Amino acid sequence: MSAVVVDQSKNGGTPTSDDLARAAAIKRMERREGWKRRLPVLPALIYTILVTQIPFLFTLFYSLTDWRIDKVEPRQFIGVENYASLSGDKFFRDAAWISVQMTVMAVLLSLIVGTGLAILLDRKFFGQGFIRTLLITPFLVMPVVAGLMWKLQMFNSTFGIIGWVMNGLGFDSIEFATKYPLASVVVVLVWQWSPFMMLIVLAGLQGQDQSVLEAARVDGASSWGTFRQITLPQLRPFLELGTLLGAIYLIQVYDHIEVIVGGQPGAKNLPFYIAQRSIGGGNVFGLASAYSIVVVIASIIIANIGLRVLSNLLEDNS
Amino acid sequence: MAEVRYQEASRIYPGTEEPAVNQLNLDIGDGELLVLVGPSGSGKSTALRMLAGLETVNMGSIWINEVDVTLKPPQDRDIAMVFQNYALYPSMTVGDNMGFALKQQKVPKAERAERVAEAARILDLTEYLDRKPKNLSGGQRQRVAMGRAIVRQPQVFLMDEPLSNLDAKLRVQTRTELADLQARLGVTTVYVTHDQVEAMTMGHRVAVLNFGVLQQVDAPKTLYAAPANKFVAGFIGSPAMNLFDAENVDGKPGIAGVAVPINDAVAAALKGQSLDKVSVGVRPEHLTLGTAGIEGEVTVVEELGSESFVHVRTDHRGEATNIVVRDRGETQTARGDRVKIDFDGPLHVFGEDGQRVTA
Ligand SMILES: Nc1ncnc2c1ncn2[C@@H]1O[C@H](COP(=O)(O)OP(=O)(O)OP(=O)(O)O)[C@@H](O)[C@H]1O
Ligand SMILES: [Mg+2]
Repeated sequence: MSAVVVDQSKNGGTPTSDDLARAAAIKRMERREGWKRRLPVLPALIYTILVTQIPFLFTLFYSLTDWRIDKVEPRQFIGVENYASLSGDKFFRDAAWISVQMTVMAVLLSLIVGTGLAILLDRKFFGQGFIRTLLITPFLVMPVVAGLMWKLQMFNSTFGIIGWVMNGLGFDSIEFATKYPLASVVVVLVWQWSPFMMLIVLAGLQGQDQSVLEAARVDGASSWGTFRQITLPQLRPFLELGTLLGAIYLIQVYDHIEVIVGGQPGAKNLPFYIAQRSIGGGNVFGLASAYSIVVVIASIIIANIGLRVLSNLLEDNS
Repeated sequence: MAEVRYQEASRIYPGTEEPAVNQLNLDIGDGELLVLVGPSGSGKSTALRMLAGLETVNMGSIWINEVDVTLKPPQDRDIAMVFQNYALYPSMTVGDNMGFALKQQKVPKAERAERVAEAARILDLTEYLDRKPKNLSGGQRQRVAMGRAIVRQPQVFLMDEPLSNLDAKLRVQTRTELADLQARLGVTTVYVTHDQVEAMTMGHRVAVLNFGVLQQVDAPKTLYAAPANKFVAGFIGSPAMNLFDAENVDGKPGIAGVAVPINDAVAAALKGQSLDKVSVGVRPEHLTLGTAGIEGEVTVVEELGSESFVHVRTDHRGEATNIVVRDRGETQTARGDRVKIDFDGPLHVFGEDGQRVTA
């Protein structure tokens, strides 16, 4: 609050030295107030800088060197050479394209499924709490476990449920994860992330003013009309939040890919590729660092674009 | 234009024993402004929402224009409702808010714009049509909610405490405008309020509810002059009527040792009733400070300028009891004065059952 009120009505508008001293005192007080508010977050800030920003700076530094494990000489500064070689790397481009497809599909599908579930849960019925807990469980399963479950119990052509159902319908069972590696990974990601989207959308639904929905009914809107014209625009910030958080997490998926499809080129995204090139056996740390820097920047850009696109989509709708 | 009828209509909320609205019988005429009034929790909103189709009618039926709408959903009833919190659509502009119902009816865009503009003109909202509700003041939001209702030209307007979120001055002003607008449009209106001044000033007729039971429906004047029972007598009027359990003074009902002047017909009607179980009421303006009558000591003088209200403590049935007397403005009476209160106007007598004893 800036409350520097210098009363200029007396002595013809010229503030006296008294007034000025008072204003200065108020300013000092405000500064002290500011520090009082900042101080408590300082430890958290320092911690964050230590564990995220400093490693990032190291990575930035490595990305400008030729560090690799099979060279005897000490690592040397080579400028942007690593970045330059990036454009010629076909595997990088493939991985980038896979990353984009995987993230976009997984985020959109889990958002749609999650919204559907949220709408079903947003009404009172017997056993509501129990069913909600059941629906949330996939999100609580460790990524590796989720991957293994799907790989062995669902996709596997010999013991898998999908194969069993297909056999039952008279089709030949196929090795789903080998034939459709990208789709397999996306299916598991959607399975794991729909509950997360559901929770976010549910919060949005339950925060709605009931009387607004009643007003829409009295005004003659159908259920679908009410959802499209009233609920959806109000859900917008929640959908945006879900997209943003989902994109941030899903762009760096590694475990599922490792477990379900291993190194198959059809589902090798950027994090997987970068890991392969460095600690995963490639051991070209300088190059891999450059790649990850690019990925971080790209993620930020993609998350922003995603958000923009979604906003426009909803804007047109209302 | 429409008539509305509640016929033995009851609403029992799931999980509750007592009906929130209990066998309501009410006929509302074409173009009438009927006010539903009652204390908090008396079932006013419930009764209104039953008419809107937002609450299930558990027993009885509701009719609009001789059509049984009891089982119809809100969108098929051709009614417009103004909510207490206005319930404006937050993501739409004022114009879209007002045109929403027409859009649902697939009214062509040009006609829609025309009707919205017309309503906006009536309500002085033209310059705000492109704003979102959150960028409006409380009074403007209230008008948008009104606009949303009148654009539709519905059969019936329903209003649930539409003025209660406005400040006192704006409330008085809007109340007049609203009554005027209703009269001009001539649309049958059911108006809910807990404010009895609003009820008295706006209603063509006023229906008083208590615990979900209809107490009396009458023109405001009748309600004030001849309350049907003790509840209505105490509820209508500000300051409230002086209302006491009577005491037996020489075979007549009395207050603080003084018999109240009742005529023979009332006396005859009270025959056989125990006098200390009947009640007597008298409005402050029907009492004067004089030289004879109930004795007491002034505790508070409320000076309002044009009039004043003098609170007098008397001893009634062995207890200190407060009687309010209206006096002229700039009264000479002061705290601590010993005064005598005389009767000067109509009395209200209620029998053992709390019902008015008509003379
Ligand atoms: N959804 C509900 N479930 C159960 N009981 C309810 C529900 N809504 C209202 N009630 C009960 O029904 C009764 C009437 O409520 P209602 O809202 O109609 O009162 P009201 O006259 O509008 O009061 P107010 O002036 O406070 O708005 C109250 O006792 C209330 O507790
Ligand atoms: Mg209410």
